[in-house]
This record gives sequence, C-alpha cells and structure tokens, in this order.
Amino acid sequence: MERRDFLKQSTLASSLFFVPNFVKAFENVSKDTFKHKKLVIIQLSGGNDGLNTIVPYTNDVYFRNRPKLSIPKNKIIKTTDELGFHESLAPLKNLYDQGYLSIINNVGYPNPNRSHFRSTDIWQTASNSDEYLNSGWVGRFIDKYGKNPYAAIELDDSLSLIMKGENMNGIATKNPRVLFGNTQTPFFNKILKQQTEAHLSEHNLGYLYKTMIEAKSSAKYIYETSKTYKSNLDYPNNPFAKQLKTTAEFINSDLDSKVYYVSMGGFDTHANQNIKHSKLLKTYSEAVEVFVKDLKKNDNFKDTLILTFSEFGRRVQQNAAGGTDHGAANNIFLIGENLKKKGFYNDAPDLLNLDKNRDLIHTIDFRSVYATILDRWLQVDDASILNKSFSKLDFI
Amino acid sequence: MKQKHILHLHWRSGFGIDYKELLKLKSKSKSKIVAEIFETSNDYKPLELDLSEFDDIKFKTIRELKNKFTDQEIRNLRKQQQQKVRELNSAWLKRLAESNAILREKMTLFWANVFVCRDNNIFFIQRYNNTLRKHALGDFRQFVKVIAKEPSMSKYLNNKQNIKIKPNENFARELMELFTLGVGNYTEQDIKEAAKAFTGWSFKNNGDYYLREKQHDYAEKRFFGKTGNFNGDDIIDIILEQKQCAKYICTKVYKYFINPIVDKKRLNEITDVFYKDYNISNLMSYIFKSKWFYEDVNIGVKIKSPVELLVGIQKIVPVSFDKKQQLIYLQKMMGQVLLYPDNVSGWQGGKSWIDSNTLMFRMKLSALLLNNAIIDLDEKGDFEDTFDKYYKKVKQRSKYLKTTKNWGQFDAKHKDLYPKELTDLLILSKIDTDTVSFLESLQVKSNRNFCIQLMSIPEYQLC
Repeated sequence: MERRDFLKQSTLASSLFFVPNFVKAFENVSKDTFKHKKLVIIQLSGGNDGLNTIVPYTNDVYFRNRPKLSIPKNKIIKTTDELGFHESLAPLKNLYDQGYLSIINNVGYPNPNRSHFRSTDIWQTASNSDEYLNSGWVGRFIDKYGKNPYAAIELDDSLSLIMKGENMNGIATKNPRVLFGNTQTPFFNKILKQQTEAHLSEHNLGYLYKTMIEAKSSAKYIYETSKTYKSNLDYPNNPFAKQLKTTAEFINSDLDSKVYYVSMGGFDTHANQNIKHSKLLKTYSEAVEVFVKDLKKNDNFKDTLILTFSEFGRRVQQNAAGGTDHGAANNIFLIGENLKKKGFYNDAPDLLNLDKNRDLIHTIDFRSVYATILDRWLQVDDASILNKSFSKLDFI
Repeated sequence: MKQKHILHLHWRSGFGIDYKELLKLKSKSKSKIVAEIFETSNDYKPLELDLSEFDDIKFKTIRELKNKFTDQEIRNLRKQQQQKVRELNSAWLKRLAESNAILREKMTLFWANVFVCRDNNIFFIQRYNNTLRKHALGDFRQFVKVIAKEPSMSKYLNNKQNIKIKPNENFARELMELFTLGVGNYTEQDIKEAAKAFTGWSFKNNGDYYLREKQHDYAEKRFFGKTGNFNGDDIIDIILEQKQCAKYICTKVYKYFINPIVDKKRLNEITDVFYKDYNISNLMSYIFKSKWFYEDVNIGVKIKSPVELLVGIQKIVPVSFDKKQQLIYLQKMMGQVLLYPDNVSGWQGGKSWIDSNTLMFRMKLSALLLNNAIIDLDEKGDFEDTFDKYYKKVKQRSKYLKTTKNWGQFDAKHKDLYPKELTDLLILSKIDTDTVSFLESLQVKSNRNFCIQLMSIPEYQLC
C-alpha cells in the first residue's frame, strides 16, 4: 500500500469513532481520540507592528500618527471597508480568501509590560502581568497529557519557557539528525546500555538518568520517524521557511507530537522600519503559504491549527527614527481549514481610545485564545493548564 | 578533616578544588579550614573594566549628549556600552574561576539571584555587581538599604517613576515578594503603603542616590501594624523585624548551599541564627561549622548551575576563551547568562536547569572545552536582532570552541593519580552501580582522557 493511502485510511478509521460528550468529562480518556490534532505556534519575536500589518487604511488617525510610516493606500490589499493587508502579505491574503484565516484584533492583557523579556514570559507562561510562573502553558499541557518530551517540539536548539512544564519538558530540535547524533556518542550509549532501573529512585541523580533516557529515546523516535517523509515542495530559502519545512516533515511523517513552536526573529523595528518590516512580512507569509500547501497535500491541514502571535504590538505613533516603539495590544492570526469565524473575528482597533502610553487597549485576553484552543481543539481541560478559567471565543 | 567533607565544603562555598589543594587541607581541622575560607574572602576587590573610552559621555544626560552627538552616534555609543556589559560577563566568569576569595565570589553569585537586576548601562551594572560583592558577607540590613538605592535597581523596578501623585508599586512589591518575605506574607495594603515610603527615591546622573523631596509622600503610613511617617529605610527595618524575612532568606541559603530539599528543623535552626543580627558571615560560618552540614544526605545532591559546572571544570583544568562570544554561547545554551537574568524572579535552579537539550549539552561540555569536540547547535537570537542577525549567529561561530587549555597544570597535579583517586576528587555524588562497573571497564590510558570521561557522566552534574 502507498504511504499516503495508508494515511488516508487511518484517518478515516479514526473518524469513525463517535465520541459522546460525556467522555470528555473523563480527562485523559478522550485525548487519544483527538491525538491527530496538531497545534503550530509561531512567535513573531521582537514585537510585530500590527498596524502596518493589517492596516486601518480608512482611519485618518492612523495616517496622522504616522506621517512617514503609514502604508500608502495603493500599497494595501484592501479587504474590508476599514482594514487591508500590507502588500507583502499577498500569500496570507490568499489564505484569507480561501477561508483559512481568522484575524483577531486587540489581543493583549491588563497592565501590559513593554519589555521583550517580560512580555514574552507573560505570553509563554500565560501569567498575569504581575505574576511570575516557572512553567509555560505548553509545558503544563504536556505535564498533563504528554507522555514524552516529543509531545511538544520547539524548532530550535534550546528550549523556551513556553515548552517547560513542572515535571516534563518539551524537546527542541531544528535538525533531528543533529539531535540524534548528540545522543549517539559512544560514551552516552555505553552508559545507558548498562543501566538498570534501580538508580531511578535517587532524587536528583534519578532525575538526571531519567532525563537522559527520555532524551535519547525521543531523539531516536523523532529522527527515525521524520526521515520517512521528505518534503518536495519549494520552500523559500531562508531559516524561518526551513523551520516550517521541518515542522511539515514532522507532521506529515505522522510524528506523534501535538504542539510545535517556532520563533521568527527580527520584528523589533525601532528605526527605518518600512523596508525591513515589508521584508519580514513577505518572509513570513510566503513560508506559511507553502507550509499550508505541504500540509494540505498530505491531508494534514484539516488537523492542524496555526497560531501566530507577537509579544506586543507597537506604538500607534511613529518615532523620530522612522520606526515604532514597544506597544501593547496587537492582532493575532489563526490559520486552519475549518474555522468557525473566518476573516476578521472582531472590530478593528480603536485608535482614539488609547492607554496612558498612547498604546492600543486590549479587548480580548490572550488567555481566552489559549483556553479556546485547549478546550475546542486539543480537547483538554483548559482551566487546569491555565490555572484559571477564561471565557472561550468562537473561532473553532 | 575527611577528604569527602573537604570537597563538599569547597564545592558549596566555592567551585571545587584540585588535588594539590586537597592534599594541603587534608591534615587540617574543620575549624581551621572554615576559618581560612573566611580569611581569604575577607578582602573586597571590585571587578572593574577599563571604561576610559566612555569618559566623554560618562554620566551625561540625554540632552547633554544630543548637543554633542548625532542620533546615529548616540545609538552607536549605546551599542558599544552594551557590548561592555558582555565583557563584564566574561570578566565575572574569569573572576569566579581565578579568585582566591571563593566564598565572597560564590555569595556574590548567590545574591545576584536574590536581588535580581539587569541593566544595559555598563557603569550602573558594574557598580551594582560590586555592591553585591561588597556586601556579600556583611550586614543584610545595610545590604538591602543599599540595593534599594542602586540606580540599576531603581531603573529595573521603576522606582524612579514612583512619585507622590502617582505611586509606582513595582519596587515595593518585589522587595517583599522576591527580596525579603516571599509571596503571601504581606497584604496589598502593605505594598501600597510601602510604595508611598519609597516615593521620590531617585539617583543623580552619576548614579548616586538622592531624594526628590517634592515627589516624596511625607504623609503618615500604616505598615505591618505600625503607624508613622516612614521612609524607605524605615520600611526595610520593619520588614526585617518580621522573622519571616530571616526565614525567607535562609530558605534560599539552604537550597543553594545545603540541600535542595529543606529540612524544617535545620531551617528553623539557621533562621534563629540569622534573625539575631542579620549578619551573613555569622550565618554561613554557623552552617559550615555545623556537624549536620557534612551528613551524607547533603553531599553530592545538588544539581550544579551552568556557571558552577563551567567554573568547576576550570578549577581542575584552567581554560581561557579566545573568543568571548563563545563563552556567552555556552551560557545561553545551558540557560544561565550572567548579568542577563530572564526576569526579576531569577533562575529557579535545581531541576529547572535540566531538560533533554540542556542535559545533552551539559554532558558534552567537558569534551567541548577540553577535547575540541564539535558542536553543531545554535544559540537563540536576541529580541533586538534584525532577521538576518537573528539567524546568523551560527555562521559566525566555528564548530569548535577556541579555548586555550592549561593541561600542564592539570598534569602537574593529577598525572599520577590512580583512577579511584581522580574519581573521588571529581565525583561527590553516589555513583550509580552500573556506571561504576562501566568506569571500571574503561582502559585508562591517560588521566587527561579519564578526567574528561568522568566529567561526562551524569554524576558530575551534581555537587
């Protein structure tokens, strides 16, 4: 049987199971049925300028605040009466036209912090702005529902806070062969070959051996599984596209991982923003478009949700250096096949009603987005992962 | 004193010792060895970079700078300053590996993770680092009061913006939550009242503290059941009256210097000692002289921080880095970059250092430093990086770490040791039985090689 046929059959087979609602009440029971649902998280690191991304092109206040920085009307892909895409986002607009994109405006949190580090922590741990958590929300998800570090994979060589749980951590790799190689040194192999289970009871020493064994088996599993699928689509030649290509290879090889996290850098545009930002948006949207194609081709797009966020938006008013400074609320993107509310989820940002720093005020808490994804997509108990119950949205 | 106990003491009060040092101490008594540790740490030697290249712009206001330089020049100067903070990072690590004042330096590292702070201004952060060093073994009361007035801290926790008409509670909150009492041991009202007492606290261009009297709230405050016209120093005094403060700091000391699992009885014992006079030296001396500090349950059970791991290796085989950026790279990959804490709550330590990726890296560290091992992992880019720079760090780095290793010094002290002797010197933790038989099966051809092998077993991760 061809691999793809096999895949089709297996997804078909799993969709035959009907899951009554009461099963959801039993945590850990329902999850296996939904194990084919994947979440891909992309962080636009540095603070993306949401106003020059999805542009309020009919709003005078926008043009007044940005005499040098506003995107001229002829360079905007006009979409609604109020909002349009930056012209570099044409590939994203294609996804929008197919009904695969939902844009949620004004997402943020109370008392926004304008430090990259702190605000990234807040987004990654799902904490309040005056609260310090030592685990990430994806980490807490695998604490509860993952059995192995590979339940959540970061496409990098070291692990971010978002992936760290209280008892279990995700694993980072942007090249499974390298990861595998690092656990295959003769010395590693010899040590573990001789291990019995006895040492695992020792407190910290046991923890080290346990982590070593998990690292080794995860690396082996990721490498051996993912090499069964090599993407033949034409991804752009840049490191961000490479990360997405590797993610697609993971998903399309049927790796049993639920969450992927990719960080794309370069969005801290304090000076000479226009050219830089335009390039960034192009890089982002071109890679995402191929990524979606790749998933679709293998019939995995319907089971994949892609969330794109940034740690904060940028100030409404341009600065003196042809750039923008750190702001607050911002738009986020959700990409998927069966979105409930396609296109624009809510109202455009209110540019007249700003906070004391003259930044956008949030109307949707980012944790409501997480809660919705956990509850409706990954089908797990969101409140125990987010340490609190947040109202759900209606995008999936 | 028993060899194992000497090594334990030196790992906790410092970063371990080599074999020659161990031989020197073997015949001495515990009280003598502890006394010597305090004696060598008596002197305070500030860590100072040569910053003369910034003399023209030192302590200048933005306005003064703008009169003299273009915006582009100011941006460049700022970048050069930030580069200096990275140099301070290397200089600090070098200090840790080479200083004789081991306890003072170890405590400086400890306090840097209690009074967590971060600043891009090289003058202020260097000053801050030396304040930690100066008070590391002194009077805790004085220490907190000085820290509260440091310009870097004032910036980091927005105390400079804390003024009478619009109090900013950030510093007051973290002072209690993270620096002295711990969460849940004060009320929101206490924070509000404390914030008022710190209103108007500011600093001059040169970093020295001064009170902006017009911005200070002279009204009466009610704090921890007391009422008065308190200023910030009074607030600190009242906080220290709470025994919880001594307990909070002693819990941190316990986990860092004694055992990650806290024994309540022992914690109460040292809390009583500390609460008496808040003298840090007295506390540490009490711990190191106690009998229970040397119980097996406390030896070799702590997961080394990345810095402890890195410096510990250098204590056995001195290594110098030809490229400073590679030293930062190592710290980044292991999750602890000195002077760049992730947030004000600091590094959590213990198990949080370990995940699949960091453990693989840590176990490879000795081979990277000492054996020219190849590494093909990239550090994360910075938030401020452009797209190209964010992803480019790999290309700038060679696949090897460019280090200069002083194997001669290692050989002189360790060449003729039996495998068992070298093992006992380097490994404090109990060794897993299977790993013991593995080590015994190795054909030890040279102690250089065996040293790297020992440093690559999981047990070496502990101290």
